[in-house]
Amino acid sequence: MKKFLAASALASLALVSAIPAAHAGKADDTLNIVWERELENVDSYFNTAREGIIVTRLTWDGLLYRDPKTMDYVPLIAKSFKWVDDTTLEFQLREGLTFHNGEELDADDVVFTYNWVANPDSGVKTQRNVNWIKEAKKLDKYTVQVMLKEPFPAALEFVSGSVPIYPQDYYSKVGPDGMGQKPVGSGPYKITEVEPGRKIVWEKFDGYMKDGPKGTPTIGKIVQRTIPERNTQIAELLSGRADWMWRVPADQADRLKSSGKVQIVNEETFRIGYITMDAAGITGDTPLKNPLVRKAISYAIDRKAIVEALVRGKSQVVNSACFPSQFGCETDVTKYPYDPAKAKALLAEAGYPDGFSIDFYAYRNRDYAEAMLNFLSQVGIKANFGYLKYAALRDKIRSKEVPMAFMTWGSYSINDVSAITSHFFTHGKDDLALDPKVKELLQKGDTTVDSAVRKQAYSEALKLIAEQAYWLPLWSYNTNYAFSNDVDFTPTSDEIPRFFTASWK
Amino acid sequence: MTTTIANRGLPAAEDIVGPTPGQQLRRRIFGHRGLMIGGGILVIIFLMALSAPFLAPHDPYFQELLARVKPPVWTTGDWKHVLGTDQLGRDYLSRIMYGAQISLLIGFAAAFISGVIGTTLGVAAGYFGGRVDMVVTFLITVRLSMPVVLVALAVVALIGGSLTVVISVLGLLLWDRYAVVMRSATMQIRQMDYVAAAKAVGCSTPRILLTEIMPNIMNNLIVVATLEMAHAILLEAALSFLGMGVQPPLPSWGLMVSEGKDYILFEAWMITIPGVALFLLVLAINLVGDGIRDVTAPENRN
Amino acid sequence: MLVYTLKRLLLALLVAMTVSAITFSLTYLAGDPAIAMAGETASDADIEYIEKLYGFDRPIVVQYFEWALNAFQGDFGQSFYFRIPVADLLLERLPVSMTLGVSAISFAILLSIPLGVLAAMRPNSLLDRLALGISVVGQAMPSFWFALVLIVMFAVWYPVFPTTGSETWLHFVLPTIVLGYYATPAIMRLTRTGMLEVLGSDYIRTARAKGLPQHVILFKHALRNAVIPVVSLAAVQFGFMLGGSIVIESIFALHGAGYLAWESIGRNDLPVVQAVVLVFSLFYIVLTFLSDLLNAWLDPRIRVG
Repeated sequence: MKKFLAASALASLALVSAIPAAHAGKADDTLNIVWERELENVDSYFNTAREGIIVTRLTWDGLLYRDPKTMDYVPLIAKSFKWVDDTTLEFQLREGLTFHNGEELDADDVVFTYNWVANPDSGVKTQRNVNWIKEAKKLDKYTVQVMLKEPFPAALEFVSGSVPIYPQDYYSKVGPDGMGQKPVGSGPYKITEVEPGRKIVWEKFDGYMKDGPKGTPTIGKIVQRTIPERNTQIAELLSGRADWMWRVPADQADRLKSSGKVQIVNEETFRIGYITMDAAGITGDTPLKNPLVRKAISYAIDRKAIVEALVRGKSQVVNSACFPSQFGCETDVTKYPYDPAKAKALLAEAGYPDGFSIDFYAYRNRDYAEAMLNFLSQVGIKANFGYLKYAALRDKIRSKEVPMAFMTWGSYSINDVSAITSHFFTHGKDDLALDPKVKELLQKGDTTVDSAVRKQAYSEALKLIAEQAYWLPLWSYNTNYAFSNDVDFTPTSDEIPRFFTASWK
Repeated sequence: MTTTIANRGLPAAEDIVGPTPGQQLRRRIFGHRGLMIGGGILVIIFLMALSAPFLAPHDPYFQELLARVKPPVWTTGDWKHVLGTDQLGRDYLSRIMYGAQISLLIGFAAAFISGVIGTTLGVAAGYFGGRVDMVVTFLITVRLSMPVVLVALAVVALIGGSLTVVISVLGLLLWDRYAVVMRSATMQIRQMDYVAAAKAVGCSTPRILLTEIMPNIMNNLIVVATLEMAHAILLEAALSFLGMGVQPPLPSWGLMVSEGKDYILFEAWMITIPGVALFLLVLAINLVGDGIRDVTAPENRN
Repeated sequence: MLVYTLKRLLLALLVAMTVSAITFSLTYLAGDPAIAMAGETASDADIEYIEKLYGFDRPIVVQYFEWALNAFQGDFGQSFYFRIPVADLLLERLPVSMTLGVSAISFAILLSIPLGVLAAMRPNSLLDRLALGISVVGQAMPSFWFALVLIVMFAVWYPVFPTTGSETWLHFVLPTIVLGYYATPAIMRLTRTGMLEVLGSDYIRTARAKGLPQHVILFKHALRNAVIPVVSLAAVQFGFMLGGSIVIESIFALHGAGYLAWESIGRNDLPVVQAVVLVFSLFYIVLTFLSDLLNAWLDPRIRVG
């Protein structure tokens, strides 16, 4: 009966696809993509969502590009680059590049962009992306130097991902608002239409560089629509009105895959989940100040079972406070396998033989959080659950009202622990451990250029974090991409879909 | 004197005037089909909620991650989980039974809080009139102008959802109908002779309100209370559905619909079961409310 | 009439001001706007920077008066999230909500008035029972659940209507049914009661005695009188509908003002939340004001009282 229902559901969905739809996909060379997020602004300096990164990579180019396979930094707008010293980068630019509006791309545009974003008054939303820049200088029409405020080993990562080059003449004329409405870049696709938060239309940029590392785009037109409801996205995909969607929940991905109507590809992401615990007693005198209690919690939750039953895909249990492939991510740390008896014993030793009750918050994956609540209750810990929107929860954490929370962090897809561990354990507002030793080690790693020294410092810090159970690292996340059988698309582990490499089959 | 009359073999009073008011009421109650059906469903749901700890086949919070999303018995499921299991492998039937407790608790508590606020305001306005009435009417107008769902969402988003927060927010928002009805009912009663008589005898205002006014507006109060109870249950479900209401792991029916929503394309029963439960409960309360109104005030019946 | 109008206008203004103050204080407490503005990947420095830039560190009363004065002139400030004027966003989203509201109220009226009239013509008939059934079910069905059921039925099993977006009129069919059905019971009951009263009144009996045909009596004499309270109820229901549209719009992904408000709550995008609450309230205030005037004009007794 159930199979029959599912089959008839799919059959009738297939019926719809027989009806000629307004958006026909391969037949009129248009890739219809849908996602959930209302993007606040297509100007990449004024949005913060991951979807914004996708739009940026499609529409604009930076000086460098990180090859998603080799993770190497290769020249893009630049022809070549070199470190002049610890704080100076020099770029040789390609010649003959133009923006979508025909404006020539040369050193003036690069210098303008770097100096403009480096100025705090410009109001770039994610200051972290640009606040390492001191200034940029033009040496000649095709040579530029970028000066750093201090030695910053991760600079190339930001040059390649976070600083797209803007056209000087156009941008100084229209400003961020004009750029948001009629964007102009030099990337493989040009934007022809924007309905804020609802729809973006791209067309292949015929004047795009021929031998660049991003390749040459083949699909003629890309139309993005925002559909907030995942079920509707699936219905649109099955009916052929959409060709691509992502973040399909595991259960639905299984059912879609077995239908054979669409392709499902699973890929790991840089995002990891973790439980942060108030070890420093910031929120008051909670049992979490006791390391035995934090260890008991770590033993109490069967992370493996949750990964296998709920998270699924390529996800794996993580044990250190970073994503395993990141530079400096030490994985040889204290581990806490599922052991409820040991958890109970530790609780008793800590003076809580009957458990205790604690506030526990989350902002996404309510089902994972509920499963964890259940494991906690089995060792006697009663968690009062609060499910808030991200902004609200983060605010609550910073006003010192959250003793324990299930959070996640995507490290901006940056392949370096400075983007996660240093972000959380250097006594910032999100740091609930406030361990001076950890802070010292991480800062040493962040500002040293010698990679062996960095590695050693990070390793010690991560071992300390695990040993003290400041965090309970949970699992890495994965994304299910679902797309039409007509589309050839390969996802990457940095969770940035690159549509300029997609093609029709 | 009276006994002698009775002893003379005169017919008893009730034989002359027919059934007593009590008998009439009983007859009207049992003759009212809506009231009977609604009352029946309500009693069943009530018993289900009360007996959940003894009758529920499983612990509503016990999760079995290896037995997730099992279909109910009438599709491909088995008798171990009659209504199937949810996304964490918890028994759906047990959660529905415990969920009844939450819906009923929210309905009663919210209707009670809003009843106290609304009745106080309404009776005060109706009895004192004048400036008091102006202020209360103004408050009612302000309250009616504000979109309930939106305001409730914003407030719950701010404080964070929980059972107490939801009950308080709904209680503080849903008093308008009480105030409106109580106000006009009190105005009518105030002009009655017996109120004037009580005043003339020198009864204190609180005493008049308690002994003369309140008993006479009780019928209206009960009818509005049932309406608001149903309203509160539906609103809680909507808030929980939007993720801003009762928090997991409590088995709120609205929350269950919300959690089953991910599965509507493939496992439609996951939203159907809690949805039908909600529908039946609200339907029953409304039928009972309509029934009480018909039975207690037959002259107002449409 | 003029005095009455002015009195009502003054009251409406007073209500609007109170609502705006409540709105502002309610939503302003909803967390630190700077954090929401800075977004998920922001650092502490980003947040402090935004706090200063937008003046969130000033006293709340100052912020209220600035906001209210500007709002009075149609300037609701900038959306934290979209970085464009809230007024522009509303102008873009309100037509969708209005279309939905108007079509839903029309649906409700077209369904409930004929049903109410027919039910009143033959009390306790099968038709009357059916009408009663429709209204009882309508009152008890959770709208979000009804919406999901329609989506499953009409997007999956019998794909007739699109289930998301607001591009064509077809997109509005399902949301209209859900939202309109929600208002049906009240309007139908009122029509039925009104018709019953009017049909029992002397002048209808006179008309019948004169031998006027049934349809003339029903539609020319009875309905016209019975419909007056229905009009004011419909105005009120329209106001409620705008408020209820938040649930419906978010399920059907109609990019209307209700959906915008819901998303904005989650993003702590205060200026938008405030503006939507205020605009919805103002709609209600204006509609009730107009329906009061209409009633007073139709029924002179009200003006005096």
